[in-house]
Amino acid sequence: MPRWVMAWPALAWWTFFFIIPLFWIILYSFGSRPSAVAAGPVSLEVLSFDNYWQALSEIFFRVFQITMRTAGLGTILCALLGFPVAYAIAMHVPQRWRSIFVFLLIVPYWTSFLLRTFAWRIILAPQGTLSDILQSLGILGRPLLILDTNAAVQLGIIYNYLPVMVLPIYVALERIDTSLIKASMDLGAGPLRTFLQVTMPLAAPGLFGGLVLTFILAAGDYVVPTILGGTKGLMVGNLIATQILASQNLPLGSAMAVMLIGLLAGVLIVAGLLLMTAQRLLGLLRGAPL
Amino acid sequence: MAADVELERVSKLYGPFTAVDDVSLAIRKGSFISLLGPSGAGKSTILRMIGGFELPDYGTVRIAGRDVTMLAPYRRDVNTVFQNYALFPHMNAAENVAYGLRQDGVPAAERKKRVREALDMVEMLRFADRRPNQLSGGQQQRIALARALVKRPSVLLLDEPLGALDRKLRQQMQVELKLLQSQLGITFIFVTHDQEEALAMSDSIAVMRHGRVEQLGAPAELYDRPATAFVAGFIGTQNFLPGYRVDDSLLMRAEHDAMFEARRAARGLTRDAHVLGAVRPENVLLAGEEPAVRNRLKARIAATVMLGDTMEFVLALPGGRELLSRMPRRASGSLPEGAEVWAYWEPESFNLFPFEELEARQGKP
Repeated sequence: MPRWVMAWPALAWWTFFFIIPLFWIILYSFGSRPSAVAAGPVSLEVLSFDNYWQALSEIFFRVFQITMRTAGLGTILCALLGFPVAYAIAMHVPQRWRSIFVFLLIVPYWTSFLLRTFAWRIILAPQGTLSDILQSLGILGRPLLILDTNAAVQLGIIYNYLPVMVLPIYVALERIDTSLIKASMDLGAGPLRTFLQVTMPLAAPGLFGGLVLTFILAAGDYVVPTILGGTKGLMVGNLIATQILASQNLPLGSAMAVMLIGLLAGVLIVAGLLLMTAQRLLGLLRGAPL
Repeated sequence: MAADVELERVSKLYGPFTAVDDVSLAIRKGSFISLLGPSGAGKSTILRMIGGFELPDYGTVRIAGRDVTMLAPYRRDVNTVFQNYALFPHMNAAENVAYGLRQDGVPAAERKKRVREALDMVEMLRFADRRPNQLSGGQQQRIALARALVKRPSVLLLDEPLGALDRKLRQQMQVELKLLQSQLGITFIFVTHDQEEALAMSDSIAVMRHGRVEQLGAPAELYDRPATAFVAGFIGTQNFLPGYRVDDSLLMRAEHDAMFEARRAARGLTRDAHVLGAVRPENVLLAGEEPAVRNRLKARIAATVMLGDTMEFVLALPGGRELLSRMPRRASGSLPEGAEVWAYWEPESFNLFPFEELEARQGKP
């Protein structure tokens, strides 16, 4: 029996839930709006690049820019907040308590994504809890006015995707053999050098996975900006959702989605190349061991 | 005698469990000492306290006369070869070896030279750019050794480093380790539960049990003059016969009123004490006729075991006990299973110890 036979369930799953929908979106993006509603959502009689030309508007790029900034900053902040959490759970919590901590991390996910995001409206409202606390502490002289702005979207993104960042980092850190840390100390490296030279490189795949996952999810999100961003906090996801749901323009929405996928892939490839170059430079700086 | 490593009344507790119980130990500079004992005897804990990975609850640890009890591992002139080698998986063999020198800020030119020398010493120069997962267990072992020795520590700690290797490779590494140690003149502290390994390599062995050092001595001393029944049984193979001491003599009354004579009794053995008499299998001789010695027993050969150059006879005694006898194969002649024989031994090879319950370790080749 050839080896690939064992891979067919994964392949089938992948094809069904990933390749086929993607194929349809790409196909739709070349179609046009049908003249009559009864003809279905998309007319594929004439295929053209018209939707792409239409999507390449100034507004798309401005919103795309905001999206990249919000998702990028959110991803970096998630990493900065998430790494210490993952590190603490993996390295400082005794083994039998670890799964409980991880569980606590996921518990909020048991309530609806929408509900959790709406809850932030109450917290962030000008007359809300956070505003009151900040004012009574004298930190703010006037009510907090970040609801329905990009700042609120940023906060919501960080809140929602923090576990997505923490989990892969945790898994990578948890798998590090503690005797490697001991060996490093034994060979004369203090805690900081051990962290930089052993822990970090070994956690890098998890960190990288967390960064990519968080970034992609955050960049494609449209629920958080819809709920917390008002009219000022638009993201690309909103544009696409508007085209598909409100304007009933599935072909244009599809073209935007395809462009988003392409641009995201481009950003990730550039980031990956930068990382590889940095690694190579670091290696050159360190010099060969022999 | 310059003590290189010194433990003074060191104890380590894990909750209600005493891992190391008031141990004092002075290890001579340049010697090869083994900490030998069953698992849970506290030998690895002692090693970790010398390495700095575990802080003793009581007592003092000194290295080269300096109190290092509370010093972090990276500030000690000690390096460790870990049980699972603990090679950095994201570095190749040479980078692993260079790691320690890098931390010390050794200049690049000298670092390269020393890494090369260390790899050459363990005959791993050819594998310098392999990652640990591309190396066999024995090769990883060598890299771990090179990585620790390249720093030229005054003391090398080895935590059961040969445990994962197969028997043949283990024996080969034993010889190499021993040679390396005598060439370098570094103090080696070797933790093992394998008594053969300890006997083969060490200048001295500390036999440990329940967190204490039961006996410290040269291998031959432990083998010939064990202080307790535990040491007698743990090192090599031993036949134990229970009985009672006659007054305060060197005579022992065993089961079925058999009388045996010893030349040595363990220190502190009281009058009429409940005792274990111990005789090693190689000292148990067999005869067809009743021999004219006091220490003799009638037995039946229950089984013969071929051990290569030696032959082992499992003898069934009338009371149901077993006695082992070993002799060179060419001297064993034709003694068939089931044959009735006399087993006998000299008083010189018979020792009396205070009675204790020992785990059945008899008959282990």
